[in-house]
Amino acid sequence: MSAVVALGQRSLREVLRQPDALFMTMFIPLFFLVVNTGQAADIFPSDSTAFLEGQGYGAFQLPITLLLAASFGMAPLFLVEEIEGGYFDKLRAIPIPRYSIVLGRLVAEGAKGLVLASVIVLVALPFGITIASGVAGFVLLILMGALWGVVYAGFMQLIALKTRSAAATNAGGLIFFPLLFLTPNFVPRELLTKPMEIAASINPVTYLMEAMRSLILDDLDWSKIWPGFAVIAVLGALMLVLNVRMIKNYD
Amino acid sequence: MEAKPNLKSKWNGPAVLAEGLVKHYTSREGTVEAVRGVDLAVETAEIFAFLGPNGAGKSTTVRMLTTLLSITSGRAEVAGIDVERDPDGARRRIGVALQEAGLDPRQTGRELLNLHGRLFGLSPARSKERAQELLELVELEEAADRSIKGYSGGMGRRLDLAAALVHQPEILFLDEPTTGLDPASRLTVWDELRRINDEGTTVFLTTQYLEEADQLCDRLAIIDDGLIVRQGTPSQLKADLRERRGGSEEPSLDDVFLDATGRTRERAAGEVQRVTA
Repeated sequence: MSAVVALGQRSLREVLRQPDALFMTMFIPLFFLVVNTGQAADIFPSDSTAFLEGQGYGAFQLPITLLLAASFGMAPLFLVEEIEGGYFDKLRAIPIPRYSIVLGRLVAEGAKGLVLASVIVLVALPFGITIASGVAGFVLLILMGALWGVVYAGFMQLIALKTRSAAATNAGGLIFFPLLFLTPNFVPRELLTKPMEIAASINPVTYLMEAMRSLILDDLDWSKIWPGFAVIAVLGALMLVLNVRMIKNYD
Repeated sequence: MEAKPNLKSKWNGPAVLAEGLVKHYTSREGTVEAVRGVDLAVETAEIFAFLGPNGAGKSTTVRMLTTLLSITSGRAEVAGIDVERDPDGARRRIGVALQEAGLDPRQTGRELLNLHGRLFGLSPARSKERAQELLELVELEEAADRSIKGYSGGMGRRLDLAAALVHQPEILFLDEPTTGLDPASRLTVWDELRRINDEGTTVFLTTQYLEEADQLCDRLAIIDDGLIVRQGTPSQLKADLRERRGGSEEPSLDDVFLDATGRTRERAAGEVQRVTA
């Protein structure tokens, strides 16, 4: 575990040395929050739209903003740079568990995710968005966003390890967009057309989004929250196993 | 050649042993036989040079010996440890500095050495101490707290060497350690390697510079097209060539290399003329 800590400290230093990248990561998701809310708020007025639970449409859109922010991880690109520059081989030649090479990088993604999600939610609060589940819900919401950022960056690392190319890794990030839009992102699942409802139901991001939405719009309702954490746990474990396997078989 | 004393390793056999080492790559164009059956035995505490033309299989062999590349067939040991069966055991005993200094450009020199100390299991305090020792050793104290991104090629190589020495390895693998360096930096690296070797560390280096091999190594092997074509001390190999050629003129290591790889001075000269025409 000490190798994870040492490599995690290194990746945190990297992130802190590039604060401008953090700004852009925050700007784009907030931009989508403003635009999406601005376009659809009049269609779904809060006083006559049951699924908004008395809040504005911005509250319904906030999970998408958080998930989008979590998808802008820098770890995969840093990894490609390391592969191209030869430092990745240097790390591979050290007797440390292979999982520490994977998790060391992702520690910074987790920390960055916590900061980003907190700032986004805090920015949203003055615009009438409240976290109905209270402080505990706020913490769970931020945690969920950060953990998803870790899992997602981990999958992007797989693309980096496989292709060893910055261009391919960047392009791989676009995979997220179909996943984000094949969800109940504008209306609840039961209001989607049948084909879209089926697509959303088999998309794991849906359960994450619904869990986040529940934390924003409802009291703490574990029946809606746990599927989100379950998605993170299952995909996180899969991501770790695949990454370790790929590093072990890396030639 | 008189054997050097073994000051570091508990292992008394060969520091590096390769038996029938083979590496095949599969690509769309078919199978590439990068290494076709290398047998090597490097004695403890010697400096061993591995020579060969570009693409001969030098780096591929080193990468297999250092656990960075899987072995298609054959076997390899470092300090008596099978690199495929116990890769972490092998990694504890070796230091590796590969072609093109592999450094993390976003860290400072001190941070990088400190990190490597921690990864090799040193305590945080010992890790800091060791980083300072190594920075002094490779004369990078003044640049220690600067970003590696701003280091010159020579500084990068010296830091890479220091990073490979953090855990005081028994065997140091260096892949073309002086390629691209100016003559002064090259001499600094040579001095450092001699000093490291005097302390009992076995040095296995690949190089394209025959002068480097002549100056530094106790023994050398020449690889061509994935096979070892000559092996011995520089003086043995020169004597052997003189005997085969006849005459009294002492061949140089260049002559040995050209003879071993089937290349001739005439052909080399012709190629140069064609390039510059």
